[in-house]
Amino acid sequence: MNNNNLPTAGLEPLTRRGFLRAATLTGMALTAGCASLGGRRTPNGEAVYAHLSEEEARVLTRLTEILLPTEQFGLPSSTGEVPTVANINDMAGDMAPQTRDLMAMVLWIFERRPMASFRFSRFTRLDDEEALRYVRAMQSGTFFERGLMTTLHTAVCVNYWRDSRTWPGLDYHGPVTGIWGVRRLGNAPMPTA
Amino acid sequence: MSDTADRIDTVEMPREGLAVVQASDISSERLELSADVVIIGSGAGGAVSAYELARRGLDVLVLEAGPYVPSKDFTEDFTESLETLYEDHGGQANTDGDLLVLQGRCVGGSTVVNGCVSFRTPDFIFEEWHRDYGLTDFTPESMAPYFERVERNLSIQENRPHEIARHSMVLSEGARKLGWSVKPFKRNIRECALTGHCLSGCKTERKQSMLVTYLPWAAAHGARIHSDTRVDKVLTENGRAVGVEGRVVDRTGRHVADIRVTAPRVIMAAGAVQTPVILQRSGLGNDQVGRNFACHPSFYVGARYPQPIHPWRGAMLGVYVDEFMHPDKGGFVLEVGGLGIAELCMINEPGTGKPFVEYMQNAPHMAGIVTLIHDHNVGEIRWQGDHKAIHYQLSDKDFPSMMASLKAAVRMHLAAGAEEVFLPSSEALSVTREADIDRQVDKLVNKPQHLRMVSYHPQGSCRMGTDPAHSACDPQGRLRGVEGVYVADASLLPSSLIVNPQVTVYALANYVADRVT
Ligand SMILES: Cc1cc2nc3c(=O)[nH]c(=O)nc-3n(C[C@H](O)[C@H](O)[C@H](O)COP(=O)(O)OP(=O)(O)OC[C@H]3O[C@@H](n4cnc5c(N)ncnc54)[C@H](O)[C@@H]3O)c2cc1C
Repeated sequence: MNNNNLPTAGLEPLTRRGFLRAATLTGMALTAGCASLGGRRTPNGEAVYAHLSEEEARVLTRLTEILLPTEQFGLPSSTGEVPTVANINDMAGDMAPQTRDLMAMVLWIFERRPMASFRFSRFTRLDDEEALRYVRAMQSGTFFERGLMTTLHTAVCVNYWRDSRTWPGLDYHGPVTGIWGVRRLGNAPMPTA
Repeated sequence: MSDTADRIDTVEMPREGLAVVQASDISSERLELSADVVIIGSGAGGAVSAYELARRGLDVLVLEAGPYVPSKDFTEDFTESLETLYEDHGGQANTDGDLLVLQGRCVGGSTVVNGCVSFRTPDFIFEEWHRDYGLTDFTPESMAPYFERVERNLSIQENRPHEIARHSMVLSEGARKLGWSVKPFKRNIRECALTGHCLSGCKTERKQSMLVTYLPWAAAHGARIHSDTRVDKVLTENGRAVGVEGRVVDRTGRHVADIRVTAPRVIMAAGAVQTPVILQRSGLGNDQVGRNFACHPSFYVGARYPQPIHPWRGAMLGVYVDEFMHPDKGGFVLEVGGLGIAELCMINEPGTGKPFVEYMQNAPHMAGIVTLIHDHNVGEIRWQGDHKAIHYQLSDKDFPSMMASLKAAVRMHLAAGAEEVFLPSSEALSVTREADIDRQVDKLVNKPQHLRMVSYHPQGSCRMGTDPAHSACDPQGRLRGVEGVYVADASLLPSSLIVNPQVTVYALANYVADRVT
C-alpha cells in the first residue's frame, strides 16, 4: 500500500528546512555510548529515561519491537537483553538542543501520523500487523515520510547492533588491534628532501 | 600574547604523538597570536602547506577546529569515531537530507579517517582543466614531480596479494568474468595490519595520514598547531589579509576563549564545505565562492553471497574497476570496499521487521561496491546567517551515470555469484538475476529521499581558473579580490575528479605552497 495521499495532518509544524535538518539525526543516531538496561521503572513496569519523555520512550520501544523482532531469530532481544531504547536515550542526552527538538517533533508526528488511515489510532496502539503496515507505508510515502522513517529506522537499528552483545550472532570481531597485539609504528620518518 | 602562546619549537621530531595546543591548555579568555602564515585546517591541504612553508623557514601557525586525538586513543568503533573524529558527528548532510557528506574533523582532517586509496589526477581531467578553465600549467608531466614527492613521502604503493581481502578477490573474479579491467589499488599505508577499521582512524600509525606524517614534520620545523580552534573570519585591511579570528571551543562545546591571529598570509584549508563558509562570513572573494560544489555522490551497493565473506576482515579497499572511468565510457569507477556492522544498518533497506533481521543475520555473507561518478559541479555551499547549508541535488544530467554505475555494480555482483543485490534506495528493492537488472533499477527515480547516497569527497567550491567570471581563485590558488589569501584544499578543484582526491589535494597544496610569497 502507498499512503502518498494521506492528509498532512500533524505535519504543519514541520517546515521544509526544519525537517531537512532532521537529517542530522541520522548521524546522531550513530553516536550514543552503549547503555545498560537498568534504570527506574514506573509502577506498571515501563522504564523511565533521563532524556526521553514517557511518550517518546513508549513510541521508541514499540518501534523497536516492530522493526527488530530479534528473539524470533535467536538473537538477543532488542528490548530485553540489548538496551536499544536506553542507547537512544543516551544519544538524546548528547544532542544539541536544536537536534533534540527535531527528534521530539519527529517522534510526535510519527506517533500521531497513523490517525488518518488507521482508524484514528496512534502508532503505539496499533497491533503488530497494522504497525508494520504503517511503517512500510511511511517508507514508500512522501518525501517527508520517507526521510522521517529512514531516520527512525537507522536510529533504532544502529542502536541495537552497535552493542557488542549482538556481535557474536553476526560473527563480527569488533576492535582487533589490542587482541592481535599489533605493534605501533609511530610517526613516519622525516623525508630527506 | 597569552600564557599558551609560547612557540613550541621541537628541534627533534617525536617518535610518536604531536605537540598540539588544545582547549584544555588555555587559561585566558582571549588569545592574541601572530605568525608569518596562518593556516586554517590541518587536513590534506593544511598539513602539506604547513610542512612546505615551515621548512622554508616561515613561522607557521595551524588552526584546527577539531580535537587532537592521538592514534593510540582511536577505538576501532565506527559509531564512536563518528562522534569524535567527523564533522557534525558524522551527520553532515545536504539540505534534502538524502546525501551524507562525510568529512574528518580532527587534527589531520579527513586523512585520518579516509580509506587510503591513492590515485593521481587522471590525464583526461587535466585535459578538461585546460579546455574549460584555461589551466594550461597543469599537465601530467608538470605535476609529476609533485605526485612523485607525495607518493614517496606517504609510502604509497600498490596493494600486495595479502592486501586483497576476500571481498575484493570474489568481486575481482566477477569483473574478470565480464571481461572488465580490474586493478589493485595504490594506498598510503606502511605494513598494513589488515584490521579493517580504516574509517575509525588507524590505531597503529600504519595509515600514513597527516597526523603521523606532514604534521609532525611541520612541527619539527617549528610550525605551531592549535586544535579545538574554529576560525570564523579572515581579517583584511585595505584589500590585504591581516589575520583571522575565531573561537576556542572544548569537546563539550564550552566556549573557552576568543582567538585573534595577526598574519600577512592566510591559507584556507578547511575543506570544500568550510572554506567557502569562512570566506562568505568574511565577505571575501567574488560570487563564485561557494558555487560549483561537486562531491562524487556514491552508492554503497551491497549483496549477499552463498559463501561467507566477512566484509570487515582484511584490508578495507582492495581493487577497483576502471573499465568505465573515461566520461566517454560511462564516467564512473567501481571500488570494492569492506564495511562493518553500523554501516550495514545504514546503507540498505532490505525490508522492515523480519526481512531486516534476516538481512543483518546474513552480514558475514555480504560484500559491497562503492560507485563514484564524475558529477557536474551543480552544488552550492552557503552560510545562512547562523548555519551552513549544502545545496546539492543529484542533477538530471548526472542521474544516468549514477544509474549506469549502479547497473554495472549489480552486474558485477551477480557475475561474482551473489544471490541477492540490494539497491540503495529508501524502499526495499533488490535484484537476484541478470535479466531483472534493468527492470528493478529503472524503478529508481531522481527525487529527494529516494536514493541513499554518501559523499566522501567534497570538492570544487572555490575553484581555480583563468576566467574571473567563472572561478574564485587564480591558477596559483590566490583568492580573487584580496591579497594574501590562498586556497589550498579540495575547494580548489575546478571539476570533479572521478577518482579519490587525496593525492590531488596533496599535490595541489604543495604547488600552491611553492607559490606563496
Ligand atoms: C570517510 C572518508 C573516506 C575517504 N577515503 C578516501 C580515500 O580512500 N582516498 C582518497 O583519495 N580520499 C578519500 N577521502 C577524501 C580525502 O580524505 C579528502 O579529499 C581530503 O582529505 C580533502 O582535504 P582537505 O584539505 O580539503 O580537507 P580535510 O582533509 O577534510 O581537512 C579540513 C580540516 O579543516 C578543519 N576545519 C574545518 N572548518 C574549520 C574552521 N572553521 N577552522 C579551523 N579548522 C577547520 C576540519 O576540521 C578538517 O580537519 C575520504 C574522506 C572521508 C571522509
